[in-house]
Amino acid sequence: MIDASASRVRDGDPASRVPAAVNEPAIAMPDPRSARRLQWVAKVGLGFLTIAIIVGAYWIYTLQPQANQTLTPPPPKVLAALWTAIANGSLFVNIGWSLFRVVIGFVIGVVLAVLMGCTAGWFRYAGYVLNPIIESIRPIPALAYIPLVIVWVGIDEPARILIIVLAAFKPTVVNTRQGMKEVPNIYVEAAESLGASRMATFWRVAFPNAIPYIMAGMRTGLATGFLALVAAELIASSNGLGFLISNAGQNLQIDVVLMGIVVIGVVATLLDAVAVRAQAYLTRWSEVRQT
Amino acid sequence: MIPVAAAATSRRTLALDVKGVWRYFQRLDGTPPFTALENIDLDVESGKFVAIIGGSGCGKSTLLRIMAGLVPPSRGVVLHEGKPVRGPHFSRGFVFQADAVFPWLTVRRNIEFGLQCRGIPAGKRRATAETWARTVGLADFIDAYPKELSGGMRKRVDLARVYANDPDVLLMDEPFGALDAQTKERMQVELLELWDRSRKTVLFVTHDVDEAVFLADEIVVMASRPGRIAERITVPLARPRDERSRVSEGFEQTRRRLRGLLEQLAPPAPPTSSPSHP
Repeated sequence: MIDASASRVRDGDPASRVPAAVNEPAIAMPDPRSARRLQWVAKVGLGFLTIAIIVGAYWIYTLQPQANQTLTPPPPKVLAALWTAIANGSLFVNIGWSLFRVVIGFVIGVVLAVLMGCTAGWFRYAGYVLNPIIESIRPIPALAYIPLVIVWVGIDEPARILIIVLAAFKPTVVNTRQGMKEVPNIYVEAAESLGASRMATFWRVAFPNAIPYIMAGMRTGLATGFLALVAAELIASSNGLGFLISNAGQNLQIDVVLMGIVVIGVVATLLDAVAVRAQAYLTRWSEVRQT
Repeated sequence: MIPVAAAATSRRTLALDVKGVWRYFQRLDGTPPFTALENIDLDVESGKFVAIIGGSGCGKSTLLRIMAGLVPPSRGVVLHEGKPVRGPHFSRGFVFQADAVFPWLTVRRNIEFGLQCRGIPAGKRRATAETWARTVGLADFIDAYPKELSGGMRKRVDLARVYANDPDVLLMDEPFGALDAQTKERMQVELLELWDRSRKTVLFVTHDVDEAVFLADEIVVMASRPGRIAERITVPLARPRDERSRVSEGFEQTRRRLRGLLEQLAPPAPPTSSPSHP
């Protein structure tokens, strides 16, 4: 019974984790798992319903005699475009390129942001040095750097990745710095009384305390990074989802444009789902409910 | 015992010696600084359980924090085993009133924290953490996160974490102040059981008269504005103590005396509530 409680604490679902309940006789309680499954069905079902209504309304509009089949292609045409892109493999090539850029740019941006945010948030004088950099980047949208990046870095792969780096960096660095600043004093004092050096307090107290902030910043960074990607691929790219859309737009293939938008939405949602999982895992100790 | 010998031993076994400590706090409005502590002299013999009691604002927590090295004194010095205190150190374990257990670490990792900071090898750390988790009755929860524990259990983690570091002195700042009455009394008994094993020097700040009498060998009574030591009394209760000690004659006497003292020291009440004065 004792072992059961220990393992349940580790991997049980939150409702069954209440340790006091472990030794109690079984009483009739609604199974939290079935309640959650119901909620999941509602969430997915209602989500699809919303989309179905929007697509349906659009479809009805395209069926009107005055609707232009080229400018407002009906959903089957969009599906056909999707099928073509899947059949000739071009869709996967474009998704692959986009993901490659997002991942590389995101990782570089986040690593820089966490390093800089931790240093600026914890060490006072480092903050004095680094804060002007953070503050001057903060109010400017990453897209505004595009002209500058083109002129200074060029129109090749590094330019596109740099835009994503900037986009992912910004929210992550601001959040990380905030998290490092908001470490409760009692944790710092407890750590020092237990024998922690200033560096140990930085690494073992301030940093873990900032993880929920960092993860929230990274999630925003991933979203804005993906957003910036589409814009970055408008810079003389010959592949990627942004290119797919802009190229089709120039050729007035609105069905392909719509297909591209849907695909971007799906890919972005999947990326965020991964981020949510990572966030939930890394902040599993936190009492604050993560969204 | 012969007085000369007693004096010689007591000098050797002084764990903490507070000498002429003052503490001022700057006021934000620019008026003269506020004197939180005025010329505190306090010597604590090694192995004694000393409670510090006083009304709110008498500077008892500030005094404890100065002894820990968390706050520097404005004047004076605190000697720990003869050496001046210059900052926090693991040999003076501190237990806070608020929950100071690290929420991002499991019970095990919390207990290991101090050992890890001091570079104790992993094998020894593990064994020590398991021993202390068992001692405070949390063996089944060793891999749980603090959010899964009750307030009393978290306090036990905190105690285990400090004890695992094997400090000379335990400084406790109203450690059970945030717990409910029942849990508080149980924690007091548990603390005494822990303390009886090793008889570490304890300074225990509280505003709870019963708590002070039940736990301590000696009680330091503080007065406020400015914070100073008003009285030092010895508790005539035998050790080891248990729940029965709470209803003994000595307990009741000391308690009454302490209440009287605190009443005298309380700042003058507004006229409506003290009609007995002529």
